[in-house]
Amino acid sequence: MVSGVRSPSRRAATLCALALMFVLALAIGAGVGAVPYAPEAIARAALHPFGGSGTDQVLWMLRFPRVLIAALVGAALSLAGALLQGMLRNPLVDPYLTGASAGAACAVAVALVLGLALPVLPLVAFVAAITTATFVAALARTGSGISAERLILAGVSLSALFAGIVTLVLVLAPPSATSLGILAWLGGSLAGRGWAELSWAALYALVGIGAALALAPALNALRLGDERARALGVDVDRAHWGIVGSAALLTAAAVSVSGMVGFVGLIVPHIARRMVGSDARWMLPACALAGAILVVAADALSRALVPPIELPLGVLLSLLGVPAFLYLAFHRRAA
Amino acid sequence: MIDVRNVALAFGECVFLREISFALHPGELLAIVGPNGVGKTTLLRAMAGLHPPAQGEIVVEGRNLRELSPRARAQEIAFLSADGPMLDGVTVREVVSSGRLPYRPWWRWSSNPEDDRAVGEALERTELAGHAERPFHALSSGERQRVWIALALAQRARTLLLDEPTSHLDVRHAFETLRMLRAFAAEGCAAAVVLHDLNLAGAFADRIALLGAGRLLRCAEPARALDEELLRAAYGVRIDVQRQTDGRVVAFANPNA
Repeated sequence: MVSGVRSPSRRAATLCALALMFVLALAIGAGVGAVPYAPEAIARAALHPFGGSGTDQVLWMLRFPRVLIAALVGAALSLAGALLQGMLRNPLVDPYLTGASAGAACAVAVALVLGLALPVLPLVAFVAAITTATFVAALARTGSGISAERLILAGVSLSALFAGIVTLVLVLAPPSATSLGILAWLGGSLAGRGWAELSWAALYALVGIGAALALAPALNALRLGDERARALGVDVDRAHWGIVGSAALLTAAAVSVSGMVGFVGLIVPHIARRMVGSDARWMLPACALAGAILVVAADALSRALVPPIELPLGVLLSLLGVPAFLYLAFHRRAA
Repeated sequence: MIDVRNVALAFGECVFLREISFALHPGELLAIVGPNGVGKTTLLRAMAGLHPPAQGEIVVEGRNLRELSPRARAQEIAFLSADGPMLDGVTVREVVSSGRLPYRPWWRWSSNPEDDRAVGEALERTELAGHAERPFHALSSGERQRVWIALALAQRARTLLLDEPTSHLDVRHAFETLRMLRAFAAEGCAAAVVLHDLNLAGAFADRIALLGAGRLLRCAEPARALDEELLRAAYGVRIDVQRQTDGRVVAFANPNA
């Protein structure tokens, strides 16, 4: 997909528009659900943290943390996707390439079989995601750097291995809460997530977001190829480690609270590039905002479509998002 | 500017160039020529600090190249590999601005007046000023090649190392590029270019480094470097050399010999 070239003022205007849409998405996300809330109620509650009224309580205890987690998951996965696509110069790469999500899924499946309590699952998922990504990076290590080909091979292979283990657990486990729990995790969901999960996932995600933004100039140089980036004084090995490390941190923070939410990390970088061009200094912030908006909106839709049932977030994103994206991509090409 | 001292180059255990010694002097345009696979590009990469020599040392302004930090090296030497990538969603100016990266600490994202001046000048010298805001992907391959050269100029390094800078250029643009490199060198800088066209090398270079049979066969002014015996040793075919009335040396490969 060809990305456009934009003037700085137009890029700034696009970022401002995205920021406004983000606030709007948060408000809509907080208002939608089994009990809908009007915008005034949301605005009032936002100004009175944990206020006395029942509405304030519901919003602060349930809705606000949930929409913020959705924003965090969207921003983190999109940034991780953009970082890896930039480093590997491959638009088909998604953040799950590091094996983080497959490792987390496998660990969650095993944890559920072992009967671990639900509140522990995000921590289990996070540790497994980071461990798997570290292992994949170690396998891809060559000399002092990381080989792109080895990273893809190691990530894809380990992901296949873990997916096999998860399927095995699903086949062997009797139909029970365990297999349903695994399936729910694989489908991606933010149900039941609150401030506790948000606070520590946000801590890791913010470190990842900061590192991602600091890597923007290096990412721009890497577009020219590793050799040319090196000739421009970029420490390419260090940049590769920084990119893989922050992508792993962002992905782990996201999957630990949301399960498998596919599509976002692959597609949002393409959308961001179309909006502001491929200069990472503009593209990364646009990516974070667009990803956050997309997941907040999708989560709201997952609650609003067939209440009181919540549709799996990852499944919904794939079902609605992929056809929309294909239409945009191929319609544009045909035009 | 760059002193190559008894250098051997290898990939793993396989040494393919040995006992290479020559200097790239200020004010000079040096052409590196030789058959495919002899190691021209790797020699250029070694001079840029991107391929450590298996033996010997490369000295830049009195300091061993290995001692320079990547950033300090990039401020001293600009290197351009043969083929650049196709870039989407960026303007010509943005690509050329990448040449200012060695001068930007990681926290400074935007360009300063010095960057703008260097980029503007590089665009002027490569006749790209009128194309500055065009999307890079919409350029012809020759124009793209000039963008890469502009990027190297924007780097404001005193030494330019270019691998086949005329490969996508028509005759006029090839001439202009080499003239521009001569003008660059005349300002007290130096440029080394890998070329395949012996006549371009003979017409524009101050000296020619002829590589062949795993060695530097000769590094001298064109009239001495383009020697029929040496060229046969390097390329394995007969190449006739004629001296023109204006002093230029012209080489013709002779397929019947």
